[in-house]
Amino acid sequence: MSSTVIDRDLVRRVAEAAHIKLTDEELDKYAHQMKAIVEAFTELDQVDTEGVEPSFHPIELENVLREDEPRDWAWNPLGNTVHKENKYFKGPRIT
Amino acid sequence: MKATIGLEIHVHLLTDSKLFCSCRTSLMGKEPNENTCPICLGFPGSKPKANKRAIDHGIVLAKALSCSLVPEIRFSRKNYFYPDMPKNFQITQYEVPLAMNGYVMLGNRKIRIRRVHLEEDPAKLIHVGGDITTARYNHIDYNRAGIPLVEIVTEPDLEDTKEARLFLEKLSVILDHLGVYDPTTEGAIRVDANVSIDGGQRVEVKNITGFRNVEKALNYEVVRQKSMANMGIDVSRETRHFDAESGTTSSLRKKETEDDYGYIIEPDLVKIKLHSEWVDKLTESMPELPDHRIERFIEQYSIGRFQAGIIVNTGLQLSLFYEECCNLYKDPKIVVNWIVTYLLKSLNYERLNIKESKVKPETFVELLKLIDEGVISERTAKELIKEYTVSGESPRKIVKEKNLSLMSEDELHKVVSEVIEENPKAVNDYQSGHVKAAEYLIGQVLRKTRARAAVDTVRKLITDMMESKPR
Amino acid sequence: MTTIEKAHLINEKYKAFNFIAEALEGGEGLLSGVAVSVKDNVCVNGMQSTAGSKILEGYIPPFDATVVAKCRAEGAGILGKTTQDEFGFGTFNVNTGYGVPLNPHDPERSTGGSSGGAAVVTAVADFPHLAIAESTGGSISCPASFCGVVGITPTYGRTSRWGLIDYANSLDKIGCMGKTVREAALLLTVISGPDKYDSTVLHEPTQDYTSYADGCAEGLKIGVPEEYFGEGVDTGVTEKVWTGIKTLESEGATVTEVSMPFTKHSLSSYYIIAMAEASTNLAKLCGLRYGLHMPLEGNFDEYFSEVRTLGFGEEAKRRIILGTFTRMAGYRDAYYLKALKVRTKVIEDFKRAFKHVDVLAAPTMPVVAPKFSEIAELEPIQHYMMDILTVAPNLAGVPMISVPCGEHLGMPVGLHLMTDHLEEGKLVKAASAVEGAR
Ligand SMILES: [Zn+2]
Repeated sequence: MSSTVIDRDLVRRVAEAAHIKLTDEELDKYAHQMKAIVEAFTELDQVDTEGVEPSFHPIELENVLREDEPRDWAWNPLGNTVHKENKYFKGPRIT
Repeated sequence: MKATIGLEIHVHLLTDSKLFCSCRTSLMGKEPNENTCPICLGFPGSKPKANKRAIDHGIVLAKALSCSLVPEIRFSRKNYFYPDMPKNFQITQYEVPLAMNGYVMLGNRKIRIRRVHLEEDPAKLIHVGGDITTARYNHIDYNRAGIPLVEIVTEPDLEDTKEARLFLEKLSVILDHLGVYDPTTEGAIRVDANVSIDGGQRVEVKNITGFRNVEKALNYEVVRQKSMANMGIDVSRETRHFDAESGTTSSLRKKETEDDYGYIIEPDLVKIKLHSEWVDKLTESMPELPDHRIERFIEQYSIGRFQAGIIVNTGLQLSLFYEECCNLYKDPKIVVNWIVTYLLKSLNYERLNIKESKVKPETFVELLKLIDEGVISERTAKELIKEYTVSGESPRKIVKEKNLSLMSEDELHKVVSEVIEENPKAVNDYQSGHVKAAEYLIGQVLRKTRARAAVDTVRKLITDMMESKPR
Repeated sequence: MTTIEKAHLINEKYKAFNFIAEALEGGEGLLSGVAVSVKDNVCVNGMQSTAGSKILEGYIPPFDATVVAKCRAEGAGILGKTTQDEFGFGTFNVNTGYGVPLNPHDPERSTGGSSGGAAVVTAVADFPHLAIAESTGGSISCPASFCGVVGITPTYGRTSRWGLIDYANSLDKIGCMGKTVREAALLLTVISGPDKYDSTVLHEPTQDYTSYADGCAEGLKIGVPEEYFGEGVDTGVTEKVWTGIKTLESEGATVTEVSMPFTKHSLSSYYIIAMAEASTNLAKLCGLRYGLHMPLEGNFDEYFSEVRTLGFGEEAKRRIILGTFTRMAGYRDAYYLKALKVRTKVIEDFKRAFKHVDVLAAPTMPVVAPKFSEIAELEPIQHYMMDILTVAPNLAGVPMISVPCGEHLGMPVGLHLMTDHLEEGKLVKAASAVEGAR
């Protein structure tokens, strides 16, 4: 992973995927800062993790499940939005 | 040119509550967004919790598709932005699907199943003021969001549209037998299809609802790709949208980043170990699968493969209906004949399935018994079945009310005499050796009696009377 | 003056609240008469909860977080929502959508973050008050240390996260702050325990943690990890921390040196996991269902991008972009999955140490609260490096407490004590011994 190149192009591409718009100045700044951070991350290369399982949680629980029992939630789902019409949420167009 | 088709089939699993919250899965009569809670709407602060029955269903289905189960499953976040996504990620399975490497037999063709996994359904979008490309904005109804789906992914083993349809029908019957889905729910099965021609680029057609539409979409896409190939145009790899109204597919614009879902393990949920006690218990109580049931019907009831296939493949409810009738009536062959030849026809005509209809085993066999008892003719029974299919009334009662029972011998004798009197030409023909003329006379008697006479009895009466009648 | 009026005064002076209740309700129970302040990222039914971000401005949660419901059930009144770094993204509480809280010991200095407001109110309240705080990588310990109060971060899963606006779900822990160890232990007693709404909460019942606050360290084995006293730790801080450790010794504890070799890798592992999870958590914030809204213009890509660009602060954007990067195809194995494996090694470090000792002792932060002018000079990566002492126990999900152990440059210094999973009792015991001797 030490070969990862963080440049403006990559930052632009990632930001677009994350739906965040960056100005040219921000792109320069973020590319510069991210380069330093991602380079620092490469120190993990030193850790031998051959055969090591990932820890998705600090304490692993298992089979925490819910019984299939329906329950109505008394609330107003549209109470937090201005984008509504006839009990529907209103969303932007697709294309 | 040969087509290669792979399907990704999304099935609504039959549970009472959603996959990660306790909202109901039944949307009948619900106002838009009424069937939601902070969890399925992804409100900040809410957390998912997995529904055990959905996992049960997944396990049973995986077993039925001859898949190998993994020992431990986890859920993942599939990240992409879309207005039907409450969280802009979908909780699904990625690294470790529930099950892999199964198959379904279509005759002697083996259609391989690549993977089976569970995930949550997104919301329903209603394009306002146009279609997907021209609408000004969308109405979003999250009632559906979070309903458990099982996704079944086949290998590209299907060779044409017909085989794809047969596969889906078979899958549907399996799901039905397992009791893990409701075939009558609108949109209970949605399909994405991957289609390519002679090793060309793969085209994905997204979000097709209903078997008829799958066939339409595949037909359109195969023809489109073939004619492009014939014109020497390369088919490009893309995702296309199927428009049910026009029966055509059209290209969807895609950004390069869209294919990168940046999966992570869902950190709000914990691993689920498929302990053998759990799986074994489900497997032991697993319902009989359709292929097995067909063999059993042939063996147990001495009926033909074709008829057994029709009963079983029509659906679980009809299979149960048939078996119940066999318990109440002596001859399973007669039952299967009457179901396949007359009852199904009548149900189809009324656009009913056996479960929705008022047809019940007790009343259905009553109809057969009325014939045996000589109360009505077969012909009357064939007519009666239409009315019975709709009303579900006791056939014995209908026969009584409408006076459909066979005539007494005296009455019948009178009618036969009349017919012979009224048709001297036919009688003459018969007597001069045209035996077929008797059939005409029998028809006349049945018409007059409104089929309240057994054909054999009528035939005997007519021939006797003509033999004895002076020339 | 009413408690609510006092809260407004505190806010005018230190900018400690994002929201103050209109009236303080309350009832009978363990917390009768106590005003509980709640970090802004913990949902309170009907009270604006923004997690310190403009993109959640106006979000009124339709439910109480489980910890809040538990406080109410014990008679507490909910005072308001305390300031924090946006979504918890910060060490100095300067990355905020609604103003920066000021350190009560020196208003030119940082309160520490991200639970800065909670620490300020805890430090200055002259009425019965306890604070619900939250830590992902050190957000309780750091401000507790900088503001001179006691902060407890419990075992991962000891408290329910239902109602917590996620930063990084596999790291987030709701905890508490108090002026004294006993007070903090009381709130911990109330908010701990199982909850059917959180799949990751531990199933062990809560305990009366105040019963451990006996000021006695008799029989406790204290481990001092050499890696926590390395380069970058201010010698003035080290000195006070050792004073604290010596106190434990004089109260009956034995002290040995231990080694935690994977400490140095915890920072990268922590930031990769935290950012990867955070970047997916924040995807839902797009101006549709709650929070910041804009006129519905453009297609959904354009609309979502518009809202998110306006609503997120600079650090949030940085972490979203970094987090998206670390889980992208092609990079995912090298960053996200690698970090999760290194986390296993970090957890093993702690498990190994706790075979030999009961409590680990270290400085909470390498420095005392810095001045805002100093913070302004730091690059993002230097911000992140300030967490070097707190991220390892947070990655491992072990409980920790920061307890004041003296002053340096006129500012409080925190002693950081850590124990094995679910050993909050020992933590309270050791901390009360340090506190009692002070
Ligand atoms: Zn719900």
